[in-house]
Amino acid sequence: MHNNCLLSNIRKLGVAAAVAVSALTMTTSAFAQDAKPYGPDPEEEIRGGNLMVGSLVEPPSLDPFHDGSDGRIRVTTLVYQGLFYEAMSGPVPLLAKSYEVSEDGLTYTFNLREGIKFHTGQDMTAADVKYSYDYIRDPDNGSPGAGDYTTVESIEVVDDYTVVFNLDQPNASLPITLGNKYGAVVPAGTFDDPGARAALNRESVGTGPFKISAFETNSYLELTAFEDYWQEGLPYLDAVTYLFMPNNAALLVALRNERIDFAQLGRPQDSQQLKGVDHLNIQRWESLGQKPLDLDSDYGPLQDVRVRQAIALTVDKEEILQASLGGYGTVIHTIPAAMQDTWGVPVEELEFQTRDVERAKELMAEAGYADGVEMDLTTINGYDWMDPAAVTLREQLSEIGITLNIKRVDLGVWIDNFRNHNMGLTFNDWPTLPDPNMLFFRHFHQRPEGADFRNWNNEEASALLREGRSTSDPEKRKEIYAEFQKILDRTVPTIMLFSADIVTVANDKVHNLYQHPTGWYFGLAKTQLEE
Amino acid sequence: MGSYLVKRLGASLLTAMLSSIAVFLVVRAVPGDVVAQMLGQSGGSGSQAEDALRRFFGLNQPLHIQYLDWLGGVLKGDLGQSWVRGQPVTEVVLKAFTVTLQLGLMTLAFATFLGVPLGLIAGLYEGRRVDTAIQAFNILGLSAPVFWLGLILLIAVSSLFSWSPPLIYRSPFVDLSDNLATLILPILSLGILQAAAYSQFTRQCVVGAFSEDYVRTALAKGLPMRVVFSKHILRNIMISLVTFMGLILIQILGGVVVIESLFSLPGLGRLLITAIEARDYPVVQGALLMVVFSALIVNLLVDMLYHVIDPRVRVDS
Repeated sequence: MHNNCLLSNIRKLGVAAAVAVSALTMTTSAFAQDAKPYGPDPEEEIRGGNLMVGSLVEPPSLDPFHDGSDGRIRVTTLVYQGLFYEAMSGPVPLLAKSYEVSEDGLTYTFNLREGIKFHTGQDMTAADVKYSYDYIRDPDNGSPGAGDYTTVESIEVVDDYTVVFNLDQPNASLPITLGNKYGAVVPAGTFDDPGARAALNRESVGTGPFKISAFETNSYLELTAFEDYWQEGLPYLDAVTYLFMPNNAALLVALRNERIDFAQLGRPQDSQQLKGVDHLNIQRWESLGQKPLDLDSDYGPLQDVRVRQAIALTVDKEEILQASLGGYGTVIHTIPAAMQDTWGVPVEELEFQTRDVERAKELMAEAGYADGVEMDLTTINGYDWMDPAAVTLREQLSEIGITLNIKRVDLGVWIDNFRNHNMGLTFNDWPTLPDPNMLFFRHFHQRPEGADFRNWNNEEASALLREGRSTSDPEKRKEIYAEFQKILDRTVPTIMLFSADIVTVANDKVHNLYQHPTGWYFGLAKTQLEE
Repeated sequence: MGSYLVKRLGASLLTAMLSSIAVFLVVRAVPGDVVAQMLGQSGGSGSQAEDALRRFFGLNQPLHIQYLDWLGGVLKGDLGQSWVRGQPVTEVVLKAFTVTLQLGLMTLAFATFLGVPLGLIAGLYEGRRVDTAIQAFNILGLSAPVFWLGLILLIAVSSLFSWSPPLIYRSPFVDLSDNLATLILPILSLGILQAAAYSQFTRQCVVGAFSEDYVRTALAKGLPMRVVFSKHILRNIMISLVTFMGLILIQILGGVVVIESLFSLPGLGRLLITAIEARDYPVVQGALLMVVFSALIVNLLVDMLYHVIDPRVRVDS
């Protein structure tokens, strides 16, 4: 509880930084250093060591171009780099040194850092940058990131350290698109060899602080420090070893017995079980993730907007948060917690975010469901928070005559339904980047430009999304996305419930830990391990 | 024996063939494929990227062509490549299989060396206090689910000795003590159930044998109990015990799925689970074929053993 207060006070200060709540000493310096790639610099000089990281998630592969899974992104952020780093205050140059945008917003000129080496030993130049981004944006290469580059018309090499992106319409999110989520800068011609994709699981070809040294199926991934890394002094560790442990209980036991030094918990409330273990530090971090209830506008009674509104008015988010995460999170409305101050709309200006069961009943009656109605709610196997959330939601919705049948499916089945626009009423769980275009466009723009998984098909909202993408003035952008969020509130394609805190547990030998709000392991580039 | 072996092998191959078709169809019957997994929430279906990936994996081909392609490879000993990681499936599956095999055989040895003596003692002293104690062990062992037992062992050992198993599996040929430290808890969790089952079965065999005419005759002849037991009873129940050993080994192969996940072991069971989750068809098919083959081989071995231990089988065939 005490931690919660502190977290919300910090948020009220208007500082959108991820803050380790229990590490009180770093509160002031952390904000200033948010803009530094990979988190705050350490105060002392400690070098060496192999950090053992317990991970509940095993990356399917280590291919940043073709594998869109979050498990892959988490680890490859230490191995591959884009032109920018995703700081909470906005994109910060990484492989780029600086950039200029033309008056009309259609030409981006990027000046690249010199003296950067790939893990292969080659020097990085503009030709590699052009190759890498041309590869990812060509849909025939099958990258999940291709959709972010539809506004790019061509990429030109000006000289070895200058590259120009020509757009066919302005895209204010271009710099953050050139970040570390999908794709990366790799040596030109990497994919010419048909075996290159498979080879990425054995040897890395990136520019990041760590390179891949071993990747054993269902066992571990070992990264070792890249000796020619371009950032002076980084990384501090000699190696990072991720141990894949598919089970919460085994993870906790391994933390206790010092088999692992560091882990993100799968269920934040499990940290209760580790309280009082002397050598362990538990930290809570703000997150960019969100756990919503998604509503398919083509599904049965949900076709009527009044039913969707009634559900929004009946859901008690705080109660669901307590039931599913023991309160380790923040209730949200139309945007994830870490973006509320910068891009959010105050809850008083939103119509359907405050619980009002009487009005919900009226809406149900108007829609012709005064006598109640049945619906299926889908949850996903392995997402622990969804089961208690589903039961709690069923109780809540029974107040307005909705009977929920809970259906639990395997993730593969769920993704299939989702992608085929056949999702019905379901819980969802997804992370984002700190940019409203990256958050909303793909999910909510009408087809074919967006995926519109929820069959929302909202023309007004789509127009705003296009306008927001092409506007670079921050004030104007904020207004546009505020307007968009109000439509989201009124027409309810999704009910964002809460952002779960990221809870990390580390051995006290681990120093200078920083957890990025995406949940990705950026911070380990600056982490230190005392021998 | 020669013609019998040929017939037996022929039947096994036919079973393997039919299983391969079943395996091929079953993995594809699960909704969602590797392409959907890779693209996730990044775009809807029917996109150009999706088509490109589907072509890359040959998923655009008709099902029977996909099957024949795969079968052609299998006959040449090539199980294809993992769609997710690109490694040769044969290599991945064999590597995982060695882990499971070691775990399975050691569990079998544990179950046999604990279960059979306990069962023999209980049978010999039927109705006595020692029999009651052994039966209590059997019932407890049989009713504890493997996953629960594994979890309890892990937590109990951790809080009693502040110790938990190493998290990276090393081959016994590389580091034997580390290897054993990794496997001891999984073997106990899987083995206690099987030892209880084996002990209960053995006891029944012994008790049953005592009411047989040949035992009564032997005892009536005045043979000492020691001789009746070792020369008559043991020899007669041996064939049942060996059959049961085969059953137990197959049971253990089923149990590893759960236990490998709990103890982070890179075996065949966990490989199957992760490959199914990723819809990595070549790996799922390869791993399932491996399971089918091991079951066939175990059955074949048990049949062979009959010939060795029971002269009657030799004569009949």
